[in-house]
Amino acid sequence: MTLEMKEEIVPAVAATRPLLEVRDMKVHFPFRRGGWFTGESGFVRAVDGISFTLGEGETLGLVGESGCGKSTTAKAILNLTPPTSGEVYIDGHRIDGLTGSAMRPYRRDVQMIFQDPFASLNPRMTVGSTIGEPIKIYRLARGVDRKLEVMRLMELVGLNPRYINRYPHEFSGGQRQRIGIARALAVRPRLILCDEPVSALDVSIQAQVVNLLMDLQQKLGLSYLFIAHDLSVVRHISTRVGVMYLGRIVEMAPAEALYESPQHPYTQALLSAIPVPDPALERTRRRVVLQGEVPSPDKEYPGCPFADRCPIVDDSLCRDHPPMLAGSAHKAACFKADTSSL
Amino acid sequence: MSSPSTSHETLLRVEDLRVEFHTDDGLVTAVRGVDWELRAGETLGVVGESGSGKSVTALALMGLIPQPPGKIVSGRAMYRGQDLLKMPSRALSDIRGNRIAMIFQDPMTALNPFLTVEDQLTEVTRRHMGLSAREATAHAIDMLEKVGIPSASKRVFEYPHQFSGGMRQRVMIAMALSCKPDILIADEPTTALDVTIQAQILELMKELQEQEGTAILMITHDLGVIANIAHRVQVMYAGRVVEKATVDELFANPRHPYTLGLLESAPRVDKLEAELRPIPGQPPDLSKLPGGCSFRPRCPFSIADCSRIDPPLVKSNSDGSYACLVNIDEAPRHDATSQISEELS
Repeated sequence: MTLEMKEEIVPAVAATRPLLEVRDMKVHFPFRRGGWFTGESGFVRAVDGISFTLGEGETLGLVGESGCGKSTTAKAILNLTPPTSGEVYIDGHRIDGLTGSAMRPYRRDVQMIFQDPFASLNPRMTVGSTIGEPIKIYRLARGVDRKLEVMRLMELVGLNPRYINRYPHEFSGGQRQRIGIARALAVRPRLILCDEPVSALDVSIQAQVVNLLMDLQQKLGLSYLFIAHDLSVVRHISTRVGVMYLGRIVEMAPAEALYESPQHPYTQALLSAIPVPDPALERTRRRVVLQGEVPSPDKEYPGCPFADRCPIVDDSLCRDHPPMLAGSAHKAACFKADTSSL
Repeated sequence: MSSPSTSHETLLRVEDLRVEFHTDDGLVTAVRGVDWELRAGETLGVVGESGSGKSVTALALMGLIPQPPGKIVSGRAMYRGQDLLKMPSRALSDIRGNRIAMIFQDPMTALNPFLTVEDQLTEVTRRHMGLSAREATAHAIDMLEKVGIPSASKRVFEYPHQFSGGMRQRVMIAMALSCKPDILIADEPTTALDVTIQAQILELMKELQEQEGTAILMITHDLGVIANIAHRVQVMYAGRVVEKATVDELFANPRHPYTLGLLESAPRVDKLEAELRPIPGQPPDLSKLPGGCSFRPRCPFSIADCSRIDPPLVKSNSDGSYACLVNIDEAPRHDATSQISEELS
């Protein structure tokens, strides 16, 4: 099997329906703390009603601070953490709640790569068997063919195929992340959920992996859901970006629009908080410093969940939950967002 | 920050520091002869990737290198006429946490989970400033207020796990600054924090520096943080300082290929770059450094002499210095990737 065949299987033409659609998905974790009679119980609303679509060949960046629910979103899409409610569609087929053999064909379409290239590889399996395992499970090739396919994948991600019998500990962090990418590619997926794929890597190596992901997208027509807390990396790789706060998407826009004219006050604060590698500019940049920290997702917020920290809060308006304000491409969930430019 | 407000008096001078570790993989030279000075009231940034030796340098100064497996092979660290590296451990304890304090990346591992914040904050002031228990508690509350912890008089009696990550980092800064140190060594203090909290902590450090005149040694891999807080910068690679410059000079006119590589490989949030130019290859394996310049295998400007000569730091046209044989503004740029694949096979 070669790259060319892959293109026959997946036509590069954009389908009419999105590759991935998530509708009003919620993931709530029950908790109880304190004594049996005196304690309290409730739900941690890790993901609290998010909806988005992702098209063929597109990269959707999902950003936010720790605890905003971005990683839980990825796990819930694949039912690794079952969503509490909501719907997930792959290519128009509803997949939420599917398990075992019913989920299997979709697991092939949607693969995942993880943040920690140390924890996500089995230390007792060689690179060859790590990358070859999904090929074996899906019966895509056997014997010598499988080995050749593994070597082709290694070359594709920039690893020397001669290292096929080495173990993960013999590789550096960047190389290990390449192994994880090759393993994800082995079943010829259409969509890869990337959960902080470069945050554990050194700056110079980060750029190698980002460039690799972008090259692979071009060659193979892949789609990415790219989850990261580093907004600079997300800007570089994404076509569209969603900003999450307390389990919800508060702003969603084409990447350039989001970075050049952020509408939600949280997005504005987030972007202004990131220092840029230019000392002259740093001295003059206006910074929106948010007070306090992200509140706990274990209670329900009747009004805007950002109201407590919002620099432009209007008590009379923000008592209700803000809906996603209009604009078909650029949406912000804020009553005070500047809608004129949308 | 163009120049520090206070005098240019040198507080701490490190000369020819060399640190080795005896590991299962053989002898690893983590720091290979570095020289630098920290001036009163300034922030000196130290940039480098993992394994560049930036943290080991700081730990050596504080007498925190476990020996064995570590060994300080040579060097001096002169602080007020005394060599910190030769000082008996008792004398060093009088300086550590008192005149020179340190904060770490992960406050959860640096704070004792079994002691309240009050216990930990008062321990330093009682030991070094000889305060009574009551005075020390009052001082601890003062410090917590200063670093912006709300309802400090109540929270001082809580345990570290009751604080959030950002608040814990504030507690650690409060503890470090309790005795009004001359020098604060900050090792990746904001790396584990979210960006909005990082912005708060950087603001806090700048404010406190302005008020107290503390000199800061800021160790980080984040060039944005350096641009935000440092006055002068030194770039480390494979245990050596490869470039020193003022912060403006370093970003506007990098002289070392590694510095240039770092700047070109980092995406920016404020503008979209057409492409990222990663530094090819892998970070160096300190137990198997190549002869000559240790950056040569990854360098797009290398010439034949680079495999023979490990270049010393030389003065640049401006105030800085750099360790490279070529002038990167004029030298031809080649593709270092091919060079690396040759070496692999």
